[in-house]
Amino acid sequence: MSLRDVLSPFTAWKHVIDDPVTIKDPFNRPGADRYRGFHQNDMDKCIGCGSCEEICQNAAIDMVPVEGQHAGPGDSGLRPMIDYGRCCWCALCVDVCMTGSLTMSNEYTWVDSDPDAFRFVPGADGKSWDLDVKGYQREDVRRLTGTTRAPMGEMPAEERIGNFCEIVDGFTPEQAVIEADRCVECGLCVATCPAHMDIPDYIAKVRDGDFEGGLRLLYETNPFSQACGRICTHKCETTCAAMHEGDTIAIRWLKRAITDSVPRERYFDLIRKPDVPETGQKIAIIGAGPAGLTTAYDLARAGHKVVVFEALDKPGGMMRYGIPEYRLPYDVLDHEISVIEAMGVEIRCNMRVGKEISIDQLKTAYDAVVLSIGLHQGRSTRVPGSEKAEAAIDLLRRITAGEEVPVPEQVAVIGGGNVAMDIARSMARLQKIIYGTVGVTVTALEELDRFLADREEIEEAQEEGCVIYPARGPQEITVAGDTVTGLRTWKVKAIFDEEGRFAPKYDETDEMIHPAGMVVEAIGQMSDISLLGADLTEQLEWNRGRIMIDSEGQTSEPWLWAAGDVTSGPDVIHAVADGHRVARSVGKMLAAKREKLQ
Amino acid sequence: MREILYRLKDRYHLGTPTFQRTDLCFVTVRRDEIRAILTELRDMEGFTHLTFLTAVDWIEEQLFQLTYMVNNREANLSLGLRVLLDREDATGDTIHDLWPTAATYQRELREMFGIKFPGSPRVDEEFILEGWTDLPPYRRDFDTLAYSQQTYNDRPGRVTHDPKTHMQKTLYPSYPKGAK
Ligand SMILES: Cc1cc2nc3c(=O)[nH]c(=O)nc-3n(C[C@H](O)[C@H](O)[C@H](O)COP(=O)(O)OP(=O)(O)OC[C@H]3O[C@@H](n4cnc5c(N)ncnc54)[C@H](O)[C@@H]3O)c2cc1C
Ligand code: SF4
Ligand code: SF4
Repeated sequence: MSLRDVLSPFTAWKHVIDDPVTIKDPFNRPGADRYRGFHQNDMDKCIGCGSCEEICQNAAIDMVPVEGQHAGPGDSGLRPMIDYGRCCWCALCVDVCMTGSLTMSNEYTWVDSDPDAFRFVPGADGKSWDLDVKGYQREDVRRLTGTTRAPMGEMPAEERIGNFCEIVDGFTPEQAVIEADRCVECGLCVATCPAHMDIPDYIAKVRDGDFEGGLRLLYETNPFSQACGRICTHKCETTCAAMHEGDTIAIRWLKRAITDSVPRERYFDLIRKPDVPETGQKIAIIGAGPAGLTTAYDLARAGHKVVVFEALDKPGGMMRYGIPEYRLPYDVLDHEISVIEAMGVEIRCNMRVGKEISIDQLKTAYDAVVLSIGLHQGRSTRVPGSEKAEAAIDLLRRITAGEEVPVPEQVAVIGGGNVAMDIARSMARLQKIIYGTVGVTVTALEELDRFLADREEIEEAQEEGCVIYPARGPQEITVAGDTVTGLRTWKVKAIFDEEGRFAPKYDETDEMIHPAGMVVEAIGQMSDISLLGADLTEQLEWNRGRIMIDSEGQTSEPWLWAAGDVTSGPDVIHAVADGHRVARSVGKMLAAKREKLQ
Repeated sequence: MREILYRLKDRYHLGTPTFQRTDLCFVTVRRDEIRAILTELRDMEGFTHLTFLTAVDWIEEQLFQLTYMVNNREANLSLGLRVLLDREDATGDTIHDLWPTAATYQRELREMFGIKFPGSPRVDEEFILEGWTDLPPYRRDFDTLAYSQQTYNDRPGRVTHDPKTHMQKTLYPSYPKGAK
């Protein structure tokens, strides 16, 4: 035994004067700083996605409506209620929380004789620890759900500008599965989609590699899933729970991945006409755009005879004659429409109602008529020289139809929306093919960050060489003799007056001349309603220049419905949703008629 | 670390080493060589400390992975040795004679994963689960949620709401959903 061993017990005596390390008041002992105690939830941050409920392995969480929280875009209005009789304080719910709203205080002592007191909604049912800063918060090093999008290929600007080939590759099936795996399937996006597609369900099919099952689901809500998988305005992605702490799920591209992964001929096996008796009732649909064709799809599947009258050479409406091929290839659209035709829908092209056949004839020969003629007349700026301007949608239609369009070396486009970007980028391609260079100027009243066009459209246009001049108002289309020489613009000081009415103010000293052999107006479209004729126009009720419809799409005439851009808009998926609504309303009327006859 | 691996490689079957850091490396070895390698590491290479012994359930591959983490305090090196066991009737070789603490780890693995370690002291006694009759709970085929639902009661009156359905009811009740 060493001397040290002998002495060491006595050295402990030096601690006699130290503060004791034991806790003086064991009844009010605070938890450790990162102790996992009762939950806290920031009610304004929480979106009611239910991921916490889903992950809880003790089934301790219920999603419940809460006073003061309402369902709206990206928020279900529900909030998690926790049953502390089941909670094991594992904090998985905090780790998965999509917004970071859910945390844990370090408070863990609480005595109550009422067991139901331990079931409450953290953040809504006030507790003394609600504002405590100590406790468990998720460490921001790793997330249970992936925060970045799976990569997807697309053609770089220099490769795509000399042709009209599709830009975006779309996910490979493998990439799609990886992307689908990030979805927490909360379903908040479903309310935002105008057609309320079963988004989490079809994403789950992708994740499981069941693309055929996915396709069946898509067609339950959207017969234009192939088109929408490419060009949808994808507002659903603006309410995706994943956006709060990472990239939103690429919902649109996942939809496309399903439609691309199923071989075309398989569509006809998977999407079959239901076995229903023929009703013998007939519906005429005017216009073969997405609104008209969705109505036709639903009504044909319900056993009615449907004939679609289309003014142009081919069906598809603005999806064919507006949206350029590099965003939506024609063969995709052709296949999409052939699936609709397989339901027994008859499409008669080159039949302009009001010319080849009158709307009165349709009214007499059919049980119901649906007006889905879209917006096919370009609006004009009416500035001096504007009679020499081209209308964007006119040009786009002619490019699609393969007609010769004039392609000057310099083109000026008026407008800052998606149509403006489409025509600018289409003209840029034609210029590149002919001259090897791009000379497109885009001018719009708005500042660049207020442009109506999608961000990616603007960026891609710029990448392709289009030059954008924001906040410039057109004053004159300059002409020399019969030829256009350019566009004169003033700087915009304000677009709206104090009352919010459209009344642009300009700085006249800031003038620019944009040299151009062609000026294109892309400032909006309107319907050509001449087909209605004077009497019907008079009879119908109107609402600020548009035909008035009820919530089901019926006009003030009992035999006439309207759907799509002609009444509402603004995009394909709204047209599809309108189509479903109108089909149901027409179906109800037809059923009532059948019943009367029996 | 690399030199040590080179020395071992001559006589044992080593997989491709993964260097997590310069002082932390993982390598897969054969089950019938693990005891020999551990003994050599302990006695010849200064890895005197068994940091932990743990398991991973690779259910898709029908394998359990044992990870033996050993540490050389002097040189500040950590080496993780992985051994793969058939998941069906999984049995490992006890190393309690090399490190007595291993007996405790092996008892835990027996309870949590159902991996057997014949000859390990008290290995079949309950460790932390008392009266457990279900599947070993760290196995990935153990359904935690179903277990907790069977085992624990709910407070009466609990109701939950699906966010999607709730939004449909409150925001768009009349939309023709599933217009087929
Ligand atoms: C350039 C451009 C780009 C666009 N890009 C997108 C996009 O990326 N994403 C998106 O979601 N939406 C986009 N849109 C909008 C979208 O195309 C429309 O909202 C959608 O096509 C409207 O569908 P609809 O069926 O109401 O009308 P339309 O698609 O316009 O179809 C109407 C049909 O009726 C026919 N018709 C008209 N009058 C008659 C008549 N008298 N007799 C017979 N037939 C007639 C027309 O020829 C046409 O085929 C774009 C629009 C344009 C113009
Ligand atoms: S802490 Fe764990 S057990 Fe408690 S509610 Fe959250 S996930 Fe469920
Ligand atoms: S996961 Fe977070 S955001 Fe979603 S409902 Fe639960 S607490 Fe709210």
